[in-house]
Amino acid sequence: MSKETLDPEKWVENYADMLYRYTLVRVKDPDAADELVQATLFAALKSQHTFAGKSTEKTWLFGILKHKTMDHFRSTKKNINVDITDTDADRIQFDTTGHMTPSPNNWNVDPEKATENKELAQVLAKCMNGLSEKFHRLFVLKEIEGLSSEEICKEFNVKPTNLWVMLHRARNQLKLCMEANWLTKE
Amino acid sequence: MISEEMDHSLSFSRRVRLKMHLAVCNLCQVYSKQLQMLRNLARSLGKENSQAIEKKTLSPDTKEKIQKYIKENN
Repeated sequence: MSKETLDPEKWVENYADMLYRYTLVRVKDPDAADELVQATLFAALKSQHTFAGKSTEKTWLFGILKHKTMDHFRSTKKNINVDITDTDADRIQFDTTGHMTPSPNNWNVDPEKATENKELAQVLAKCMNGLSEKFHRLFVLKEIEGLSSEEICKEFNVKPTNLWVMLHRARNQLKLCMEANWLTKE
Repeated sequence: MISEEMDHSLSFSRRVRLKMHLAVCNLCQVYSKQLQMLRNLARSLGKENSQAIEKKTLSPDTKEKIQKYIKENN
């Protein structure tokens, strides 16, 4: 086939689950993910005339989904810009000698062996749930999905320095949460 | 800077400065290890998660609703 065509009657069968999984990685709430897939396919149906056949049907649908996901983030006010009210993640400060305060606790866990520790993984899962949706999303994409910083900046239209600050805060928040929930109870 | 290094590579001079500082800063070594551990843990969680997500599907109700809408409006 030289030119890509659309076949809306087959969208649900071919792409619905794929689009849904992609959304689930980015949006914590399954109901919201459900609605986003719906909104995407409805919008796609209405804008079939804009499909130029230059990309595949799949790429085109994912493009619409990405826009819808961004709209969702905007409307829920979980905006991607650095929010200066996110102060609890800033409890780690540096003193005048350039050292961290409070001092990091020694976790006494070998980083290599930590992954074998199921209990520890559960604590992290719990702590990740406590992150704001914005931080959760960025942390997941960066550390779990393994997206590069450039890809994340592009997808969410953020500046690299902003992304770095937000990831830094997410990590510190997780670190504090893990210290509070497990590591100090030895 | 330790956290920054995890997101993109630092310039050569900053990398050298970081290594030199880490060599003398015990707490920073601890911090660096903690971040590494967070990453390792997150990745192992991610493996479990992605297996779980692979099995997830859009609800049949929603699928039916979309299919019906497409049929009527196409």
